[in-house]
Amino acid sequence: MAETDLALYAAHDLPFWRAGVVRFHVRGCGECRGLLDALCADRQELRRSADDMPANVDWDQLAAEMTANIRVGLAAGECVTPRERKVAAISWRPAAIAAGLVVLLAGAWWLNIPRSDTETIGRALRDMATGGRISATQEERGPVVGASSSGVELLENGGRMGIEQRGLEPVMFSVSTQGSASARYVDQDTGQVTITATYVQ
Amino acid sequence: MSNKIYIALALAGAISLQAQAINHKIDFPKDSPVSLLSEDFGNSNATARGANLIEVNAGLSLRNSSQKRIRSMTLMVSTPDAAGKGSVSVPTLDAGPGETFSVHIGTRLIRPLTAGNPVVEVTLDGVLFDDLSFYGPDVLHSQRTMIRWELEAQRDRKYFKTLLATSGAEGLRKEMLSSLARQGDSSQRGVQMVRGRATNLDTERESQFAFLDIPESPVEASSGMARIGASLAGAPRFEVRNRSNRPVRHLEVAWIVKDQQGREFLAASMPADMTLVPNQTGQVVQDAALRFDRPISIDSMSGFVSSVEFADGSQWIPSRGALDQARLRQLINPSPEEQRLSQIYTRKGIQALIEELKKF
Repeated sequence: MAETDLALYAAHDLPFWRAGVVRFHVRGCGECRGLLDALCADRQELRRSADDMPANVDWDQLAAEMTANIRVGLAAGECVTPRERKVAAISWRPAAIAAGLVVLLAGAWWLNIPRSDTETIGRALRDMATGGRISATQEERGPVVGASSSGVELLENGGRMGIEQRGLEPVMFSVSTQGSASARYVDQDTGQVTITATYVQ
Repeated sequence: MSNKIYIALALAGAISLQAQAINHKIDFPKDSPVSLLSEDFGNSNATARGANLIEVNAGLSLRNSSQKRIRSMTLMVSTPDAAGKGSVSVPTLDAGPGETFSVHIGTRLIRPLTAGNPVVEVTLDGVLFDDLSFYGPDVLHSQRTMIRWELEAQRDRKYFKTLLATSGAEGLRKEMLSSLARQGDSSQRGVQMVRGRATNLDTERESQFAFLDIPESPVEASSGMARIGASLAGAPRFEVRNRSNRPVRHLEVAWIVKDQQGREFLAASMPADMTLVPNQTGQVVQDAALRFDRPISIDSMSGFVSSVEFADGSQWIPSRGALDQARLRQLINPSPEEQRLSQIYTRKGIQALIEELKKF
């Protein structure tokens, strides 16, 4: 019989059926019975020594010391345990990376895509958003000339030509059905009249 | 951190490297009546942004090297591969032989990216002299326009001189104040002209043109129609009849739009090249549409014949008497010469204006 089984039997820690087997074996085996008696004697001795309390114990003082030690332990734990931090919903790193990407993409777009194309894409997106109601009203196939308070311009085949006069605002402007736009400027200093125009080729 | 600095430097470098100088070419014919004294393209540059964005800011100093007085001049501005052409005109010049004058060109062009520096070409399209003779290749058909400017200038100077003779300086001063008030009361709107079809099939409707008849006009316009949509009007067509005894080869009709608040404004001009012998009727059909930059509900449209060119090259323009109709007076833009004279009055006073009128 294994000594561990005898030790467990002595401590009443064996399952019921194994305890029965050990009990049956010990009845017929003197050696094991002697070992079991020794184990039982050791247990009783240990229990007796544990039950013996030191002389002159002041229970009230002991309770106060234990309470103080527990409080000191808790305070020390507060000092050495890392404080739990609130985690932001979005960390700054991904946000910074996203912002950098946006800047890069915007820069690449600005450098490489002509404004007219950007406007065309914008119009197409607006059309998609409005279910095509805008494009239905502005179906354009030919070149466009325009005149406004910012001067004259021509849009044709993705190209653009705009003419202005040193930041002056035109005093009048007009378009013609033959495909030209003109704007008239008056130089307030010299009185000179200048007319700028764009023409469809 | 160092990576971020590198990225920022790379971006800044990429942007700064895009700017480049432009080449320019000023090409006046050898026998040109105008010679180039000096040029300054210092503020011109090109930026590559998917296409070449070319900004031209140039000043030209020119001299009349002919023996006649120059009344107006048109320069053509273009660049290879760019859309269309542009022009800069000075319509109220009075440069005598040997005299100098300056022209400023401020242009912004976009053209496809190509190898090498972009080139901007400035060429002479036409020069008009005081005897209405013309010099130049006239690529932009500027001769017709420049003759009209000169006819308007002669008409208006004569009007103001007559007024001075009949009503004195006070009468001229009142007329100048009235002109300045009209110029300041302009109700112009930004407008685009789309060549080819630009329609809204759902909301378009046919609308009639009402034509203002100017009794002295050699051409009569009638039976006008156009399609009206949301903030646009297109496909105008109308009949014209030559009621003069001279053949006509070109005419222009002014297109007036009235919104639903009752405001009228000159929206566009409708030029037409057509041959009309005396008493002949013709049909003008324009494949174009007018689109306003702000929403407008068009209530009605009208028009009037604003100029006619005869087969011999001479032109008719409305007289001051015809323009004195209250309605036309509010709609028609003053001529470049009237604006120049009113500027002289504003800056220098009535006496300077009288002296200026005496020069002609």
